[in-house]
Amino acid sequence: MKLPGKLRTRALLFSFLGILTAAYLGAAETASQAVKIKIDTILASNQNGEFDSRLKPLEKQLKLLKYKSYRLLKEESQNVPSQGNGSFQIPGGRTLIVSPQDFRDQQIALKVRLQGSEKPLLDTTLKLQNKGNFILGGPPHEGGVLVLAIWATVQ
Amino acid sequence: MKSCDEIRELVGAWGDGELSQAEAEAVRLHVEGCSACAEERRQLDKLNVSIKSVLASQQPIAFEPFWRGLERRISEKRSWPAGWLDRLRMPLGRPNLAWGIPALIGLALVLYSLGVWKEQTPRNNFAAVESIDAYGRNVALLRENETRTTVIWLYQNQEGDNETSGETSDQSPAF
Repeated sequence: MKLPGKLRTRALLFSFLGILTAAYLGAAETASQAVKIKIDTILASNQNGEFDSRLKPLEKQLKLLKYKSYRLLKEESQNVPSQGNGSFQIPGGRTLIVSPQDFRDQQIALKVRLQGSEKPLLDTTLKLQNKGNFILGGPPHEGGVLVLAIWATVQ
Repeated sequence: MKSCDEIRELVGAWGDGELSQAEAEAVRLHVEGCSACAEERRQLDKLNVSIKSVLASQQPIAFEPFWRGLERRISEKRSWPAGWLDRLRMPLGRPNLAWGIPALIGLALVLYSLGVWKEQTPRNNFAAVESIDAYGRNVALLRENETRTTVIWLYQNQEGDNETSGETSDQSPAF
C-alpha cells in the first residue's frame, strides 16, 4: 500500500511540473513582454590590426567586414516594452531608436531608426530571432566607421 | 459460550493444533453440535489435503546446475565492452535513478525556460528585413550564410551627401 501511494505522489508532482513548464513556455510566447535591447557600438577602422577582446562573441560576424581594427566604444542595454521606444546615444551626435512591435514564433519584430544630428539616416523594419542580432554600420566616425551590433532578447 | 463466527475463526488454528487445551475443547464441542461449523471444518480439511497433495507431487528443486552456472559466470573473463556495459547498466537499474533521470530532464526544461542557460546567438540568426528607408543615401544589405548574419550598411552616395559632421565615409559597402 505504501509504494503505490508514493508513486502516485511522484507522478502527480511530475505532471504538475510538466504542466507548469508548458504553461510558462506558452505564456512566454503570447504575453506582450519587454524586450532587452543591447547595442554594442564599435569603431571599425584600418588604422591598426587591433581587435578588442570584449568583441570576441562578435568576432566571426565582424570578420565579414573589410576593416582591420575593431574597438568597442560603448555597450548599452535597455528593457523596452512592446510598442515602446528605446533611445540609445551613438557617438557623433546620433541617436538610435529601437521599438519592439511584436513577438511571435520566437521572432521579434523591430522598428529601428538611426537619427543623425540633424536629419534621419535610416529607418528599417525587420524581424529578428529571439536572442539574435544584426549589424548596422556605415556612419563615419574618427577616421573609421561605426558598427552597431543590435541584440534583442525577450524578457 | 462462543458464537459460530468466533468458532469459525478458530477452526483453522484448531486443525493446526495451535489452540490451548481449553480452547480446543470448546471448539470441538461446538463443532460436534453445529452442522454449519462442522461443514466449515470439513472444507478446511479438504483444502489442507489438496495443498499437501500438490506439495507432495513437486519435484525437488535442482539447485546444483544453478550454482554451477553462477560459479562459471563469476570466474569467466568478461570482454572489456561487456564489462563497461554492465557497469553502465548497474546504476541505471536502480529505482531511484529511474526517477532521477526524468527529474533531471524536468529541471533542465525549467532552467532553460527561465533563461538560465548562457545567452548565445540562435542557430538561425538571420534577420528578415521588411523595409529600409535610407533617406536618399545608398544602403547595402548582406545576408551571410556561415555566420547567419544580416548586415545593413549605409554608405556615401554619388553626390557625396553625408552627414553634417564633415566626416567622409567609404563610397562602397564594407563587405
